[in-house]
Amino acid sequence: MANFDIQMTVNGRQVSQSVSPHLRLLDFLREELHWTGSKEGCGAGECGSCSVFVDGVLMKSCLMPVAKAQDTIIETIEGLEEQGKLNVLQQAFQKTGASQCGYCIPGMMMAATAALRANPHAGREEIKERLGGNICRCTGYQKIFEATELARDVMNGTLPDDLLKQENDEGPFIGSNSFRIDTSSKVTGSLKYAGDMVMPQMLHMQVLRSPYPHAEILEINTSAAEAMAGVEAVVTCNDVPGIDGFGVFTDDQPVLARGKVRYVGEAIAAVAAEDLVTAKKALKKIKVRYQQLPVITKPEDAIKTGATVIHEDVPDNIVMHIPIRKGNVDKVMAESDHVIEDTYYTQPVEHAYLEPEAGLAYLDADGTLVIQSPSQNITHHRHKLAKILDLPINRVRMIMSAVGGGFGGKEDMHYQGIMALAVLKCRRPIRYVFTREESIIASAKRHPFIIKYQLGLSRDGHIQASRIHMLSDAGAYNCSSEGVMRKAAILAAGPYAIENLIVDAIGVYTNNTPSGAMRTFGAMQSQFATECHLDLCAEKLKMDPVELRLMNFLKEGDETHTRQKLGSVSMLEVFNSALELADWEAGISNSRGSTRSDLGNPGNRPPCTLGAREFPQETVSAGQSA
Amino acid sequence: MFYCDQYHVPQTLEEAFDLIQTNKGSYKVLAGATDLLPWAREGRGGDVNFESVIDISKITDMSEWQLQGDRISLGANVTIQQLLEDPFLRKHIPVMAKSAVWFADDQIREQATLGGNLVNASPAADATPPMLAMNAELTLQRKYKGKINQRKLPLHEFVTGPGKTRLEDGELVTRVECDSMPGYGSAFEKVGHRRSLVISTVCLAALVSLSDNGRKFEDVRLALGGVGPVPVRLHESESCLISKPVETELINKSADLAVKNVQSRTRQEYRREVVFNFVKRGIIEAMKDIETNYAEVDKNIKPRKNYG
Amino acid sequence: MNAPLRKSVRQKRGRGVAACWYGIARTATIDRAGAWAELDDGGTAKIITGVTEIGEGILTVLAQIAADELGIKPQDVTIGDNDTARSPEAAHAGATRQTYMIGNAVALACREARKRLIKELAQEWEISEDDIVCSNGMISTLDKTRCITISEAVELCKNRGVVPVGSGSFTANHTGLDPENGSGSPWQAYVYGAQVAEVEIDTETGEVQVLGVWAAHDVGRAVNPQGVEGQIEGGVVMAVGQTLMEDYKQVDGYPSTMNLAKYILPTSLDVPEVSSVIIEDPDPLSPLGVKGIGEPSMIPTAPAIINAIYDAVGVRIHSLPATPEKVLAALREKRDSADSVEKSAKSI
Ligand SMILES: Cc1cc2nc3c(=O)[nH]c(=O)nc-3n(C[C@H](O)[C@H](O)[C@H](O)COP(=O)(O)OP(=O)(O)OC[C@H]3O[C@@H](n4cnc5c(N)ncnc54)[C@H](O)[C@@H]3O)c2cc1C
Ligand code: FES
Ligand code: FES
Repeated sequence: MANFDIQMTVNGRQVSQSVSPHLRLLDFLREELHWTGSKEGCGAGECGSCSVFVDGVLMKSCLMPVAKAQDTIIETIEGLEEQGKLNVLQQAFQKTGASQCGYCIPGMMMAATAALRANPHAGREEIKERLGGNICRCTGYQKIFEATELARDVMNGTLPDDLLKQENDEGPFIGSNSFRIDTSSKVTGSLKYAGDMVMPQMLHMQVLRSPYPHAEILEINTSAAEAMAGVEAVVTCNDVPGIDGFGVFTDDQPVLARGKVRYVGEAIAAVAAEDLVTAKKALKKIKVRYQQLPVITKPEDAIKTGATVIHEDVPDNIVMHIPIRKGNVDKVMAESDHVIEDTYYTQPVEHAYLEPEAGLAYLDADGTLVIQSPSQNITHHRHKLAKILDLPINRVRMIMSAVGGGFGGKEDMHYQGIMALAVLKCRRPIRYVFTREESIIASAKRHPFIIKYQLGLSRDGHIQASRIHMLSDAGAYNCSSEGVMRKAAILAAGPYAIENLIVDAIGVYTNNTPSGAMRTFGAMQSQFATECHLDLCAEKLKMDPVELRLMNFLKEGDETHTRQKLGSVSMLEVFNSALELADWEAGISNSRGSTRSDLGNPGNRPPCTLGAREFPQETVSAGQSA
Repeated sequence: MFYCDQYHVPQTLEEAFDLIQTNKGSYKVLAGATDLLPWAREGRGGDVNFESVIDISKITDMSEWQLQGDRISLGANVTIQQLLEDPFLRKHIPVMAKSAVWFADDQIREQATLGGNLVNASPAADATPPMLAMNAELTLQRKYKGKINQRKLPLHEFVTGPGKTRLEDGELVTRVECDSMPGYGSAFEKVGHRRSLVISTVCLAALVSLSDNGRKFEDVRLALGGVGPVPVRLHESESCLISKPVETELINKSADLAVKNVQSRTRQEYRREVVFNFVKRGIIEAMKDIETNYAEVDKNIKPRKNYG
Repeated sequence: MNAPLRKSVRQKRGRGVAACWYGIARTATIDRAGAWAELDDGGTAKIITGVTEIGEGILTVLAQIAADELGIKPQDVTIGDNDTARSPEAAHAGATRQTYMIGNAVALACREARKRLIKELAQEWEISEDDIVCSNGMISTLDKTRCITISEAVELCKNRGVVPVGSGSFTANHTGLDPENGSGSPWQAYVYGAQVAEVEIDTETGEVQVLGVWAAHDVGRAVNPQGVEGQIEGGVVMAVGQTLMEDYKQVDGYPSTMNLAKYILPTSLDVPEVSSVIIEDPDPLSPLGVKGIGEPSMIPTAPAIINAIYDAVGVRIHSLPATPEKVLAALREKRDSADSVEKSAKSI
C-alpha cells in the first residue's frame, strides 16, 4: 500500500502525517491522532455517532476516505469546549439530562451545533430535521431537542443563562434534578469506551464466525494462520483449560464452537495479531470443514416429535417451560358469558445499543487476568471465566468499561472468554472491537413470542378465567431464556385480579440467533398480548376499554397470579393519572372518528412533513456558470 | 472493509482519464463514496481491495450547472444537498428539491452526488424518477486513443437493472441534462419504514402543467421508483391525461394504468395499492403546486377496491 | 405544542391506552447488593460498589442518595464502581434493580459510616447520638447550639483514632416458584404503569405516526425526576421502534437484517412527544422506599399504539411490527369484507 501525505487542521491544530490510503477520516482521527471522541456506531452512514465538521459542513466521517479531508479544517466534539469550560450547548445537554449512555452524544452534539449554526432561530421541527441523521437509542431524543432549544434561547439572549445552572444546590437531593455526574465526560468526548482504549504492545483480535445455521465441525486447521508474520495467537475450543461453557442460567454455550455450530455468527476461532488487517487476513487462512445438519428455524417445528435435536442433552428442544395454575379454568371458562380468543405475535428485536461490543484484555502486573468491557454483569462473568480458565476467582478481574448502551444485550459473556483465552496464550494486551454487522449477528435478540390468548368474561366485563399459552424462540443457546420465560409467565395476565388462570411460557431451541435478555425480559411480549386482548374484549362487549380495565385491576390485599398477597397497589392512581394527563375522553373505541374531542391536544407533535426549513431565494447561484 | 493501494484525486477530467488509462482494469471510480463505502462491508460486498481508487469529486467542471435553452445541464458531481438548497436549482427543477428533502439526511446529502445515485442504479434511487420525468440524458465520456470521446444516452436507456447500467469500461458520467420546468407544478411522494434515513419502498415524481385556465392537462410527467428492477416512466398514465380535461375519473384511470408497473420481488400487493394512491395524490399535489385549488377533485377520488 | 387536525380524509387519528405492571429486582430468587462508604477529608465521601452504570444514570442516583444520607452534596461524592477486584458485589445492571438494590445498599453503608462519625462526635460533645444531625455540609446538635462542618467533624473523628467507614448489604427476599402451579413471591416490590398513545394513520400508505404518548408510572420514590423522565422517554421510543418498524429477520437461519440500513431504528423524525407524570408509592419494605423504572417504561407503549390504530381506523394488528404494509393490508381486508357484507345484504 502506498502511503500518502495528508494535512489538515483538527480542532485548531495543524496535522501532517503519512497515512495508508484506505483509512477513513474516522479511522484517521481515532486511530492515528487518538481523537477518540468521535465514535463508530455503524461504519455505514446510518447512525451519526461519527459526525464531525469538515470545513464547517457536518459530515459522517465513516463515509469519508481520509484523502477527501486533505487541507480541510476538522472540528470534533473535543473542540467544542471554550477555554476549558463547557459551551452553552454542552451546558444545556447537562441541564436537561440529554445524555444517557453518551455514545451518540459526540455526533449528536455536532449535529445540534450544525443545526444552530445553520439557523440560530431554528424551531423544534427544524431541529428534528437537522438531527435526522443521528440515532440515539437511549434518550428517546426528547431531552436532546429540549437541550438544543434551551441552548438556542440562551445564545439568542431570549432566556437567561441562569437556566443552565443546577436547580438545587442545597439539598435534600433525593427528588431533585441533580446534574448527572458523568455528563461533562460525555458532552466533551473525554469518556473512553473500550474501543477507545489502547495499551502498549496491544494486539488486535478478530473472530471467525459460522457461515451455517447448523453444522458439525469436522476439522479446524489453523496452521496457515499461525504461520503468518504478525500473528501472535490463534485460539479454538482446544485452548480452554477449564470447564467450557457459559450462559446466564445454564452454561450451554462453549466459548468457541465445540464440534458443532448452532447458528450463523457463532464464534469458532480467533486470531490476535499486530494489526487489524493482518488479523483479518489470518482469519481467511483458517480452514474449517463442516458437515451441514438439518436446520430448525420455527419454534413450532422444534417441538414436533422427531425434530432435529439441537443440544444433545435436551432431546425435546425445550429450554424452559414455566407453568402457572390457579383455580379451575376449564369449568369457569365454560360458564363465562363471553369467551374471546385470539393469537398475538411479537418479533425478534435487536438491542442496537449504539456502542458495538468491544473489550481490552491484559494481564495485570501480578498476572491477574483483567478484562475491561461493557459487561452488564461483571460479577457473573467473573465466576464463569474463572471456571472456564480454571483460575482462582480472584485471578480474574472484570472491569466494566463505559457502556454505550446495553438494554440487556451486554449481559451475555459472548466474547470476553475468547479474549481471555487469547491473552493467556500470547500474554500481551488484546483489543477486540466488533463491527455493527458482527454485533447484530453474534449477539442475542429479544425473544419472539407466539401467544394464544383465551379470556372468559362476564356480561358486564369481569374477567372470569384466563388461558395464556406462549411459545417462544430461544434460538441456539439458552442465554437468559429461562428467566425470560419466568418473568413473561408471572406477569403475563397483567395487573388484573383473576381467580382462574392457566399460563404456560415455553422457550425452545432453534438454529436462529440466540434470544436473550432485553429490557422487560419477556414482560412486554406477554403484556402486549394482554393489553391488546383487553381492547378486543371491550370491542366485543361494546364497552369502553378504560371501563373494562378499571373493573378488573388488582387492588391492595389481592392475590397475584402466583398467589402472592399484595400490599399497596398504585395501579388505579397510575391509570387515572395517565388518563388525566392525556385529557382522555371516555367512550368506545373506533366509534367517534375525528369527533373525539381529545384528539390533537397539546402534548402531540405535529405530523412529520419535512418542510420546517426555509430556503433563500437568491437570484445568483454559487455553482452556476452562465 | 474498503481497502485500496492507491488513492488518486484528479482535479480535472483530463487527469481523471489519464489515471483511468494507466490503471486500466484495476481502478474504481468514487464520487461521494456514500454507496461504495457502505457496500464494502460484511453481508454486502465484504472486504474489497481496489488497486487504485480514482476520486472524481474534486473535478470542478463536474460540479457546475447551467441553463441551456430549455434544458438544465448539471455536472455529475452536483450533490443532493445542492439540489435541495440552491435557489437556482430550486427554481428550475423544484421536483429535485422535493425528492432531496427525503433523501438520506443533511450530512449524507452533502457528499452524495447525482451522478453516483444514477450510476449506482438502485431500484429505489430517489433521484432517478424525477430525472426520468424530466427527460434526463447523460453525457458519457471516455478517452480513446488520446482523445476524449463523448456519447449521450437517455437515462431510461442507461439504467438496465438493479446495479446495472450501460456505462462502459473507462467511461465516466460527466453531465446530466434535463428539462427546465417553468410553469409546471411538481410533487414527490415517498414511503418507507421511517422518516429520516429512509429507503423508498415506493417513490413517485409527478410534474403537471395545465392549460385552458386550469381546466385541462397540458403536460403530465410521472415516474416511479422502488417497484421493480429499474425506475420507470409512466407513459400510459401520462398520455391518458395529456390534453384532457381535469377530471376525477381520468385521474383514477391514470393511476390504474400505473399499477401494472409493480414488478418487485416482494410486497407486491402493498406496492400496487400505494402506486395507485401515489399517482392520484402526486397529480393532485402537483396541481396544487400550481396554486390552483383542486380540493374538490381531491374529495371525489375514492380509494380503489382491487389492486390485482 | 398544538397539532391541528388535518382536514383531509386521508389521515386518521385515534387514541389507545394500556396498563402494565412489573416486579423490581431479580425474579423469584433472593437478590442482594453490597456497598462501602467512607466519609472522607474535606467533607467529601467515597462510595465503593460493584454497580455497573449502563447509561441510565445510576451513579448520579447513588451520589444523590449518599449526599442526603451524609449531609453533603452529590458532587462531593466520589464513586468507585464496576471492578470485581476493587469493589463489593452489586451484581448486574438489569431487572430494574439498580436504584432499588444498590441505592438501598449505599444508603445502609452511608448510615453506618455516619453513625461512626456521630458516635465520636457525641462522645466529644458529651451528648446523645440521637441529638446530632447532618445536612448541607454541616453537622449540628438538634437545637443548633453546636454546629461544625462535616469536614471538621471528620477531622475530629480521625483525631480520635477512628476512620468513619461503613458497609451496607441489602437483601430482597424473593422466593422461587412452585414448579407445578407457579405459586411464590417472586418480588417484594411491584410497580404499575399506564400510557396513552395518539396516532395518525395515512390510509393511502399505511404509515403510522405516533404523535403523542402520555405516561404515568409508579417508581416508589423518584431520586432524580429528570432521570426518571429520561427512562420513560427512552423506553417509549424504543417501544415505538418495536411497534412500528424494528424487525430482526432471518431466512432459513441466515440473518437478513445485519446492518442499520436493514434493521430500522426510530430517528428524531419518528418519535412522539412524550409527557410523563411520576407517581410515588414508596416501598414499605426497604430503607429508601425507591422502586424503579428502567424496564416497565416500555411495556404499555406497544399495545397503546396498537389500540390507537384500532380507534383510528378500525383494524386490529396482531403481530409486531405494525409496518405500513400490514396496516394497509388490514385496511384492505376490512374494506373487502365490508363490501361483501354490503353485497350479501343487497342479495337478500
Ligand atoms: C445512510 C444512507 C442513506 C441513504 N439514503 C438514500 C436515499 O434516501 N435515497 C437514495 O436514492 N439513496 C440513498 N443513499 C444512497 C447514496 O447516498 C446515493 O445513491 C448517492 O447519490 C450515491 O452517490 P455517491 O457520489 O456517494 O456515490 P459513490 O458511492 O461515490 O459511487 C457509487 C457508484 O457510482 C460510480 N460513480 C459515481 N460517480 C460516477 C460518475 N460520475 N461516472 C461513473 N461512475 C460513477 C462509482 O464507481 C460507484 O460504483 C443512502 C446512503 C446512505 C449511506
Ligand atoms: S454514521 Fe458513521 S459510524 Fe454510523
Ligand atoms: S445516549 Fe444516545 S445512544 Fe445512548
